[in-house]
Amino acid sequence: MSANTGSLGDLQGAFQNYVLAASDTFQAAVRDTSKAQRATLLDVYRDGYALRLIEVLTNDYPGVMAMAGPDDFDYMARAYIAAHPSPHRSVRWYGGRLADFLAATAPFNATPEAAEMARFEWALSEAFDSADAPAITAESLMALAPEAWETLSFSALPSLRCLTLAFEVPQAWQRKEEVEAGNLEVARAAQPTVWAVWRPQFISNFRSLDADEAAMLAALVEGKPFPDLCEAVAAFTGEAEAPARAAGLLRAMVEGGMIAAFRY
Amino acid sequence: MASTDIGFGLGLRPEHYEEIAANPGRVSWFEALSENYMVPGGRPLYWLDTFRRDYPMALHGVSLSIGSIDPLDRRYLDDLKALVERVQPMWVSDHLCFTGLGGLNMHDLLPLPYTEEALDHVAERVTAVQDHLGQRLVLENVSSYVTYAASELSEWEFIAELARRADCEILLDVNNVYVSAFNHEFDALAFLRAMPRERVRQFHLAGHTHKGSHIIDTHDHPIVPDVWSLYGEAVKLFPGVPTMIERDADIPPYEELLAELDVARGIAAGVTRQAA
Repeated sequence: MSANTGSLGDLQGAFQNYVLAASDTFQAAVRDTSKAQRATLLDVYRDGYALRLIEVLTNDYPGVMAMAGPDDFDYMARAYIAAHPSPHRSVRWYGGRLADFLAATAPFNATPEAAEMARFEWALSEAFDSADAPAITAESLMALAPEAWETLSFSALPSLRCLTLAFEVPQAWQRKEEVEAGNLEVARAAQPTVWAVWRPQFISNFRSLDADEAAMLAALVEGKPFPDLCEAVAAFTGEAEAPARAAGLLRAMVEGGMIAAFRY
Repeated sequence: MASTDIGFGLGLRPEHYEEIAANPGRVSWFEALSENYMVPGGRPLYWLDTFRRDYPMALHGVSLSIGSIDPLDRRYLDDLKALVERVQPMWVSDHLCFTGLGGLNMHDLLPLPYTEEALDHVAERVTAVQDHLGQRLVLENVSSYVTYAASELSEWEFIAELARRADCEILLDVNNVYVSAFNHEFDALAFLRAMPRERVRQFHLAGHTHKGSHIIDTHDHPIVPDVWSLYGEAVKLFPGVPTMIERDADIPPYEELLAELDVARGIAAGVTRQAA
């Protein structure tokens, strides 16, 4: 049975395979016109597919573009597109696997800072249209009775994400428009650092966390009560200093707009 | 605030949010791209809710994939229904096409063969979608670049029959008629005349890119004179149908699109005067 006379499903399958450059059999199912060959017309779809997705990735990953430059970005994008046809209803989600792809795929995995830049940029974009939630105020905590703190636990803003980065990616990201595309240098950090990304109102925020702060935030998002948050900090400060340090870190998180709710 | 006439609208674009807020009442309504607002929160939904307070809206999707042999995506339909409840749109539209199968999305509007098999399949799915949403679906004719050898009907026969069988409505994209007529060498006016008058819910107007041997529907240019002429014919055939200009790329300032919309108003007013 030729593609010309196949069922609706046959025709659609052949068309999709043509768009994906997996097969050319769909050519037999369509006509030339008096002005154009069918291959030219079909290539509007095939070429358009890659170009459209490259545009999406370009918009989502300006930092990666600043590191790679247009030619290398195009090469990388085409490799990603070939490996990852989209299962999404919106192109807004299409680039979500780029960081994993760069980390796992030669030759891109030879530049681990590229995967980290992609991971950071995706976290920013996820925060952008994550669910809204107003942040609690420091005053609301100060009003609590001392007993409440024994069982006091918290929820972070839905937009909060933490990433551990070995490279100074956020710092470089802030310089991305100052350099010609392809020239953005990303230094290795003195040590792997946890960064928090979150969106208290309409603008995504990010900052690095001290090691004890990162440990405390990890316990907080698991819903652990305040005494456990102190324990997490105590691993770094010792038992004596931990409560004051934990209270100070909590205040900074609350004032930074990271915390959406508390319960006790 | 906004005019009570629902004649002339624009696509709601993030590039224009501030200008729209600063220049109220310059259009009658907005068309919002459904998938852009199927997100958990943030700025997109804030602006959608803000503008919906002052303007009627239509919802326009690209991922319904009404023609695909894949089963209907129930989660997509639920999310669309939730968005419909949030926005209370004048109508809900998508395209007569498929976007992929096997769970994949080509993020393109791929044409269907105009066969009885496809007609039965799409009519059944339109009925199911309309039942799910609790309202009629409006389907847009796409621009296409290939003609299936298997097609038994013309595109306009297919659309008119589908609208009748499924009791759905038509978003008549005048630019797409022009583009497809050039690419497939048919008479654009024959297409317009074949549309059932009572089912034409809305017009789209847009720009395109001419490649000589074919035209590509890029939505990144102003509307060309030949499409304006075809629009004039469409207004004569379907008076009072709301019109919207679609600009999706190389987006100019809001004022420029408002000026283009004024051209549409002028053509429609001229047709009305001639008919009077």
